[in-house]
Amino acid sequence: MSETRYKTLRDVPAEEYLLPGSPECAGCGAQLVLRIFLKALGGDAVLVNAAGCLTLLNVYPYTPLKLNWMYTAFASAPAGAQGIRDALDILIEKGKITPKEDLKVVTFTGDGAAYDIGLHAASGAIARGLDFYYLVYDNEAYSNTGFQTSGATPFATSTKTSQPTTLNPIGHEGVKKDLFEIWRSHKPPYIATIAPSHIVDMLRKIERALKYRGPKLFIAFSPCPPGWGSDTSETVRISKLAVETGVWPLKEAIYGEVRHTFIPKVLKPVEEYLKTQERYKHLFHPRRQEKVIKTIQENINQYWQKVREKEKLE
Amino acid sequence: MLKIRFHGRGGQGVKTSSRILGRAAFLDGYIAQDSPIYGAERRGAPVVAFTRISREPILERGYIFDPDIVIVVDETLLDDERARPLDGVKSGGIVFVNTQSEQAQVENVDDKLFIKYSITDAALRVIGKPIVSSPSAAAAAKITGIISKESIIQATIDELSELGLAEEALERNLRLVSEVFDTIPTPQLKILNGETTPREVIQLEYKGVIYEDIVNVGNASLRRVGNWRIFKPIVDYQKCTGCMLCFVYCPDSVISLDAKNKPIIDYENCKGCLICVKECPLHAITAVREVKIYA
Ligand code: SF4
Ligand code: SF4
Ligand code: SF4
Repeated sequence: MSETRYKTLRDVPAEEYLLPGSPECAGCGAQLVLRIFLKALGGDAVLVNAAGCLTLLNVYPYTPLKLNWMYTAFASAPAGAQGIRDALDILIEKGKITPKEDLKVVTFTGDGAAYDIGLHAASGAIARGLDFYYLVYDNEAYSNTGFQTSGATPFATSTKTSQPTTLNPIGHEGVKKDLFEIWRSHKPPYIATIAPSHIVDMLRKIERALKYRGPKLFIAFSPCPPGWGSDTSETVRISKLAVETGVWPLKEAIYGEVRHTFIPKVLKPVEEYLKTQERYKHLFHPRRQEKVIKTIQENINQYWQKVREKEKLE
Repeated sequence: MLKIRFHGRGGQGVKTSSRILGRAAFLDGYIAQDSPIYGAERRGAPVVAFTRISREPILERGYIFDPDIVIVVDETLLDDERARPLDGVKSGGIVFVNTQSEQAQVENVDDKLFIKYSITDAALRVIGKPIVSSPSAAAAAKITGIISKESIIQATIDELSELGLAEEALERNLRLVSEVFDTIPTPQLKILNGETTPREVIQLEYKGVIYEDIVNVGNASLRRVGNWRIFKPIVDYQKCTGCMLCFVYCPDSVISLDAKNKPIIDYENCKGCLICVKECPLHAITAVREVKIYA
């Protein structure tokens, strides 16, 4: 690809915009993503956040953030971003601030707001071509309220509202919505998936997005120790496994054209990933649910087979 | 009526402690009531739970302001302005503190009795994880002097199975409960006149809480969440090559780098997630059991 200032981890910017002392859980993947995301964006940003775990970053009278922050209702973070964008544009037009003083408008929400409750608001904003960034920290459930199923919960996950039982030992029977594809159908300038284990990949994507005007959208894999039942120290490991087993594809779409930024040569068996988390424990204990594990594996294989075929064609 | 108040941090399971204790009392023929309180915060934030035990119907509801027994599951809370676990304890009452002490120690402080014992270390020994919810209930049960060992064990089985604990983990919990129950003494509760320690009302300085604090960006470091830690990451600077990985992966921005790119950890706010320990390619960071209070 084109020139990048990010070659290795040594190029991670030193400046912090998310300072110590937040009330989020130890080992929170979402917070790690936000921290790195802000480093790549730089300090000239204003944040718009909807209800979710990271809302708690700002519990009066404390804030770990160096940036301005606006809180909206669950469904309306992208609408909030529209308001701030408009205000900034008007201020520039009236000469009250110079174009140099302009700010990047950054929405960040959890998967609950992105996949379910605020899906329409984001769709509207993308359709209007709003010039903003949207970072989804996807921990695959409503973690803030105790880990209930969301539109982002993968098949066979155990959540508070999809507990495996004798009648239904599978857990969640639905599938994870494909938000990347929902968004891609709008053909925005930039969409990417990112993961906190693949920091250089993440930084380069943000760097590329900076060049575009209009919606720049990111879906971030965000391990959540209490919800996923994983050890706090495993957050980065699990993210790495998710990428290497093919559970979490790293890709981008520029005006709708998809490109994978990392294609695993050999997929690690998905079991290796599932076994790191209590939310999949019922697939292995007390009995191994072979069929379910196989279904999960086959879905992943199919996905990557299509990707490989397409790469070959190109 | 006996009033017991548990103080812990989110994730330590004091809600479960209060439930186990309540159920045990119920099994022993008492009327029992339990409830937790927690705010809009994540793991690590101060949490309180209550159990009331009585022969008569319990009409009282809500927060227990005048406990007979207080169980401090996390000793760092003793210095926490927001938790203030000793508030309101009746004179003659008993305070249990989960502290570094390997043996149960009993001492009189003012008009209260303090029992100190490390259930965290007991849990690390028996379960291999710092599980403190069930042993806290066991300690409380023993201190009340009115709950039998059979009932606390049965209550632990009932409550933990409801939470879906696997058999082996349950078995270890029971061993721990039994051990803690046997270790903790049953001192006499000497509550004479029901007098309670006056609650200290915090005067907020008007000037201090207005908006200047909020535009004071990044002031969350004043919270000192280093108290959440059970293990502390310690860097071996001989081994460290300055690869920066720990700095990159720390979710809480508590690692900064010196001129040679070697990490400096801000222990006042390191939550002890131990991602840095796992990710360091040279195993230059080790996890050491925390012994200091950072509040
Ligand atoms: S519940 Fe999960 S997403 Fe929420 S703060 Fe905790 S670790 Fe982060
Ligand atoms: S233990 Fe966690 S919070 Fe502490 S320095 Fe390591 S990565 Fe950061
Ligand atoms: S990860 Fe290990 S070797 Fe690298 S800078 Fe940190 S302590 Fe040093």
